[in-house]
Amino acid sequence: MSEYTLTAQPALGGYQKNFDAVSLVELTELAIVSIAIPRGGEETLATALQDTFGADMPKPGTTCLSKDGDMRFLGMAIDQIFCVFNHPEPDAAAIVANNLKQAGYVTLQSDNWVSLRISGPGSRTALERICPIDLAPDSFTEGCVARTVMEHMGVIIYPDGQDSYVLISASSSAGSFLHAVETSIHNTLS
Amino acid sequence: MTQVNRINGGLVDRSRTLSFTFNDKEFQGHPGDTLASALLANGQRLVGRGFKYHRPRGILSAGSEEPNALVQLRRGALQEPNTRATTTELFNGLEATSQNHRGSLEHDLMEVTDLFSRFLSAGFYYKTFMWPAAFWEKIYEPAIRNSAGLGRISMEEDPDTYDKGFLHCDLLVIGAGPAGLSAALTAGRSGARVILADEDFRPGGRLNAETFEVDAMAGSDWADRTASELASMDNVRLMTRTTVFGAYDHGIYGALERRTDHLPHSDSKPRQVLWRIYSRRAILCAGSTERPIAFGNNDRPGIMLAGAVRAYANRWGVAPGKKVAVFTNNDDGWRTANDLSKSGVTVSAVIDTRDGSAPMDIPGAGIFMGGRVMDTCGRKGLKSIKLVGGATIEADCLAVSGGWNPNVHLTCHQRGRPDWNDDIAAFVPGGDLPVGMSVSGAANGMLTLAGALSEGRSSAEEALKDIGLSPSAGAIPVAEDEPARNAAFWHVGESKSRTWLDFQNDVTVKDIKLAYKEGYRSVELLKRYTTLGMATDQGKTANVAALAVMAECTGKSIPETGTTIFRPPYNPVAIGAFAGRSRGKDFRPHRLTPSHKWAVEQGAEFTTAGMWLRAQWFTRDGETTWRQTTDREAAQTRASVGVCDVTTLGKIDIQGRDAAEFLNKVYANPFLKLPVGKVRYGLMLREDGIVMDDGTTARMGENHFVMTTTTAQAGLVFRHLEFCRQCLWPELDVHLISTTDGWAQFAVAGPNARKLLQKIVDPEHDISNEAFPYMGCGEITICGGTVARLFRISFSGELAFEIAVPARYGDSLIRTLMAAGEEFDVVAYGTEALGVMRVEKGHAAGNELNGQTSAANLGLGRMVSKNKDCIGNTLSEREELTRDDGKRLVGFRPVDRSVLLTSGAHFIKPGQAATTENDEGWMSSVAYSPELGHSIGLGFIDNGSDRLGEVVLAVDLVRDRTTQVEIISPHFVDPEGERLRV
Repeated sequence: MSEYTLTAQPALGGYQKNFDAVSLVELTELAIVSIAIPRGGEETLATALQDTFGADMPKPGTTCLSKDGDMRFLGMAIDQIFCVFNHPEPDAAAIVANNLKQAGYVTLQSDNWVSLRISGPGSRTALERICPIDLAPDSFTEGCVARTVMEHMGVIIYPDGQDSYVLISASSSAGSFLHAVETSIHNTLS
Repeated sequence: MTQVNRINGGLVDRSRTLSFTFNDKEFQGHPGDTLASALLANGQRLVGRGFKYHRPRGILSAGSEEPNALVQLRRGALQEPNTRATTTELFNGLEATSQNHRGSLEHDLMEVTDLFSRFLSAGFYYKTFMWPAAFWEKIYEPAIRNSAGLGRISMEEDPDTYDKGFLHCDLLVIGAGPAGLSAALTAGRSGARVILADEDFRPGGRLNAETFEVDAMAGSDWADRTASELASMDNVRLMTRTTVFGAYDHGIYGALERRTDHLPHSDSKPRQVLWRIYSRRAILCAGSTERPIAFGNNDRPGIMLAGAVRAYANRWGVAPGKKVAVFTNNDDGWRTANDLSKSGVTVSAVIDTRDGSAPMDIPGAGIFMGGRVMDTCGRKGLKSIKLVGGATIEADCLAVSGGWNPNVHLTCHQRGRPDWNDDIAAFVPGGDLPVGMSVSGAANGMLTLAGALSEGRSSAEEALKDIGLSPSAGAIPVAEDEPARNAAFWHVGESKSRTWLDFQNDVTVKDIKLAYKEGYRSVELLKRYTTLGMATDQGKTANVAALAVMAECTGKSIPETGTTIFRPPYNPVAIGAFAGRSRGKDFRPHRLTPSHKWAVEQGAEFTTAGMWLRAQWFTRDGETTWRQTTDREAAQTRASVGVCDVTTLGKIDIQGRDAAEFLNKVYANPFLKLPVGKVRYGLMLREDGIVMDDGTTARMGENHFVMTTTTAQAGLVFRHLEFCRQCLWPELDVHLISTTDGWAQFAVAGPNARKLLQKIVDPEHDISNEAFPYMGCGEITICGGTVARLFRISFSGELAFEIAVPARYGDSLIRTLMAAGEEFDVVAYGTEALGVMRVEKGHAAGNELNGQTSAANLGLGRMVSKNKDCIGNTLSEREELTRDDGKRLVGFRPVDRSVLLTSGAHFIKPGQAATTENDEGWMSSVAYSPELGHSIGLGFIDNGSDRLGEVVLAVDLVRDRTTQVEIISPHFVDPEGERLRV
């Protein structure tokens, strides 16, 4: 038994706050694993995704859910998928890799990012101040994902329910990103 | 006595009274008033002074085209100059002051300049301040700067906040006048996503200023009803107090929403929001702007645009004068006389430049068909007017109408040129509109109400069809087309006095004629020479008339003479709004290392590295200078062990069947045969053969590498690699993803580094020198099973490792390392000590990899393998880059060891002058070496490797210091690298 033990610390310490019409919470258990599609290996990976997770291969800008609904696959680029699911341990990449059996190149991304969920009837109004993406419910429906920039910070955004969006941004600038989102909420609260 | 000019009617809320001050004098107004309407209601005609001659000036217009009534609003840090009284919404407690005068507004000492007006003609500055040259800096420039500008900024930090935002719509309707409302209604009812933006706080545009009826109700009531219907639609966003100021590419428009300017306090909310509106289609319904006629002394307070006079009466219930005369060249001017007369205001005369019979009867007014106003009287306010022919008419207000100019501005924002329309004697939008834009109503030259309503609707229908939507069925709002005949008339030639064209810049007809005489033919040059059309109003009321005068001079038509186009913004936008939130600490995001919180607790000083905040040093009690701290950190690391957070170095995960080949192509040195479990230093060249970046790359698996880059170049290198992967060699199976933020990485350096790590690395992982030699790497576990990566690499020159854990454990790891290292007297070191040790070791860093140096310069020429191709390989062989006597990176030490070296010094041979011709190179990095006890430096000098032992001068002209330095090896400490390998 080691004399020392390391303790995990979320990028924002498990931030959670409710505003009048908006709720903002850090998703501390969201694991993110990137899956690069080998050149010429699209069909193999698609089969593996279907066989293993019951999920379709998402096109860029779209998401697909696993059969059990626990995993969401985000189409990030023509040869890149992000797999996001609740898993607090740092071995998420190994889980995905073992399931895919080398059908894709897997990289742990969980710690690269901070994930926030902004939800509530005021969420879109707040996001209007920083998000260039058209978030109208009939334009950016569940099943969509976008990479964009908010206040100079790269962000991945996807809706995960009515008036609810997951925002994923770089963990090193998590504090600045939270400040940007909080400021947007403050500025739009009546 | 308050509101002496308030008359019946209007759309202000008379049930409430608002108090405000102008030049500290208290006045009253009502909700719905603008500052201008309230001032006029209170009989305040004099509101400002002219820019150049300081002549008394009053309110000219009732909108954002206002050139004269510019005031300063609020006090202290909130003070804002050059605000148009005509668009300033009145609120209780509003404080306004006039500007551009010395002494009081009534007694401006600078009015003396008016006496010298004959010497201050167009181009005066250019002609006068040319000589003597010696006067320019000391006399002319300070004097000009002192008198330049209108209002004064507070010179304090703006306490207001600003924000930005993004909106999307199918159809953007710009302007909520009759055409805009009609368009928005059509689109809104069809279900399209509509944004209707108007700079006024009350939708309706001219409907609020006229007495027309729409759908058998007052036009303002119809506007109210329509706005209410639009506001009730989920698919419509009605934005009042919002000016669409620019049309940009791809249907993107800039808009400024004034959210709290009409309130006494912003209550910590953004005062203004700068919107970027993405539209599929846009309809410009910006209306038109009335233009004055130029005649002698036409700038006196009380001389106003006729449409504005009518607006003050009809919308605000204010008579701008007790006895009003009208001077017009069109039917619209007559409506002012008619409306005033019906409101009970005395109309003393109507002077129409056109011959023929009067269009209507104005009771009690003298009618002068074919008449012209030649001059006016009344220094601080109009008293009477004098007509050509000698008649003098008493009037304290003269309503002037020279016709209406469509507001084509936004149609020109992508270089579109307007066309001349003889029917209305004005420019109308040309055919080359911004993509997706159409124009309706008065902005399109349709100057009648029924026409505007109809055009708005048809434009919306067209736009909806364009984007695949079906317009809703419904009747066109019913209204009549009012008479709108006009005859072009620009200025009264018989006037002997100065006739003003541009009130804001004090440009007269004579100035234009003078410019023509002096050879100015291009309209754009004319504008710059005379200052026509500059400043806050951008010549909205002046440009066309000035062009007409120019056309008279040339003997050509107006369109033959030229036109002028417009650039954004349509109206002034505060710089603060453009900055938005990006002020102070929010100027840009900060990136924090995983050990940041711990470093703060240790009292670290931080420095910026790009967006990163890095610990620079960790001061301990008793240390009074950064040098003491840095010396201790470096010395203690070399004596025992030190820990430094190196997370900021770029980390790129590279995977794929062709990953090794890819690296072999992007690095100058070979990577194809790097064994798994090994790290190699890599040198990356640009296409031109110059060094781009360096770093180490570890082979974690057969098809898996982890590349590190310098902190500064992490983003650029990633972009470069993506370009190579996607564009140069798309046939390779290579995939990249950044893991910089994902891993907390710490350098553990010093003779006791291994001992320290052995305390936390799980026992199944052998990190002895034999099992884990120099330049080894591997995936391990630490602290009872936490995944980690270990690299045996060294930047300090000591036995060293870099250990990485998922970033979530970074804070815990630094605390663990420091706790476990107590027995070794472990020290945390910052970037300063890191820099000292790398200079001692002779490692190149950012100062040496500055985008100008080659591998040969760095002494790494042999690394550019000739057994393979790589980016930059061919061009690195250029003659100048490969010459034997080229600059080489070497070390320097002062001959007098007590002297401190300075970076940036240039090397000169002893006895030679410090000139560019004798310059042999430069000192790129310096440090005080606690190991050696004196200052050392790295630098580039001609043929440096062959000059070891030679003494040269390090000349620092900036600091005025010259130091004798000896050229030595750049490897000051452990040149054989023995410490690395123990």
